[in-house]
Amino acid sequence: MQYFKKMKGVTSSPPRVSFSEMLWSWGGSFLGIAAVALIHYKILPESDLVMIIGSFGASAVLIYGAIRSPLAQPRNLMGGHMISAVIGVAAFKLLGASMPLAAAVAVATAIFAMHATKTLHPPGGATALIAVIGSAKIHALGFWYVLVPAGLGAVVMLAVALLINNLAPRRRYPEFWF
Amino acid sequence: MQFNSDGPGGSPVDLENQDIIAAMKEMQGYIDITPADFMEIYRVAYNHAVDRIAKSMHAKDVMTRQVVCVNPETSLLETAERMAAANISGIPVVNEQNEVLGVISEKDFLQKMGAEPSGSFMGVISQCLKNKGCVALPIRGKTAADIMSAPAVTVARERPLSEISRLFAEKQINRVPVVDPDGKIAGIVSRADMVRSFFAKIC
Repeated sequence: MQYFKKMKGVTSSPPRVSFSEMLWSWGGSFLGIAAVALIHYKILPESDLVMIIGSFGASAVLIYGAIRSPLAQPRNLMGGHMISAVIGVAAFKLLGASMPLAAAVAVATAIFAMHATKTLHPPGGATALIAVIGSAKIHALGFWYVLVPAGLGAVVMLAVALLINNLAPRRRYPEFWF
Repeated sequence: MQFNSDGPGGSPVDLENQDIIAAMKEMQGYIDITPADFMEIYRVAYNHAVDRIAKSMHAKDVMTRQVVCVNPETSLLETAERMAAANISGIPVVNEQNEVLGVISEKDFLQKMGAEPSGSFMGVISQCLKNKGCVALPIRGKTAADIMSAPAVTVARERPLSEISRLFAEKQINRVPVVDPDGKIAGIVSRADMVRSFFAKIC
């Protein structure tokens, strides 16, 4: 019975944030994603590089929208993306013959590794997954995927987060670096 | 694990869900934690704080230094009078060198007055009603040495309060003399001293 009782939940949802908080989240994420998208679409098209991957949309939620969260801190942002990227690329290279297996192993192992390194960052799971299910262009990057887009994209988003989040009088970022 | 504001155990301050929600609103920003998680952290952290304080405080920090004592040959009449005058429920027995030989508590009196074996006040009352006489007769003329609990449980000045509180529970005692390395009495820690120190530190 305890098992089913647990499914009822035990507490209430945290309160809604203030309107100014919503605006700051909007502004930060607009600029952060704009920065990586500009590099991706205006600077890199001639090269084989990519700059923007879907998981940055998820990172934006955290580092501009939930900036106090331990999940949103620089250690987690950088470590989460780069460690997961290594695991994603390795999973594709080793298990790519079976895409379902490679995809599942990539995400599960990425979560394990992020926990072990205290870098849990939910978008890291997407970064690992994209390394497996991504386009031929992504696959062609090999382990470069760890540095660009995963590492460099995260650095650009981090820089925007530092600049924008600390402009707001009631905000501060980060809570900790490492 | 469960968030239950009127549950048992309780936190020192009765924080309610609404207080935590109000605090979250005041802090603005999105706080990545549920009220229940906060409550759990608060309660567990509070217990750790109590533990830390108990470990960081020692017998010497809370003991009563002016100890009312008796000698082994002090009569029980005088012992009882001293305890009554000082309004204490236990008294150390010391020799001429101020070394602790034993402790006499109300319980020791009651037991020797025939309220064996529990030594409760009600035991004495029932004896009294049965005998239709003074229940103190069996101990009249005796001395402190006759009824004291010996050897005495004692502690050093540096003994942490956490251990002393465990000692109280294990030995079923309510006070413990504090002695110097040479065995001379330095003070006494009672349950009341412990309670006072905790309130002073936490509240």
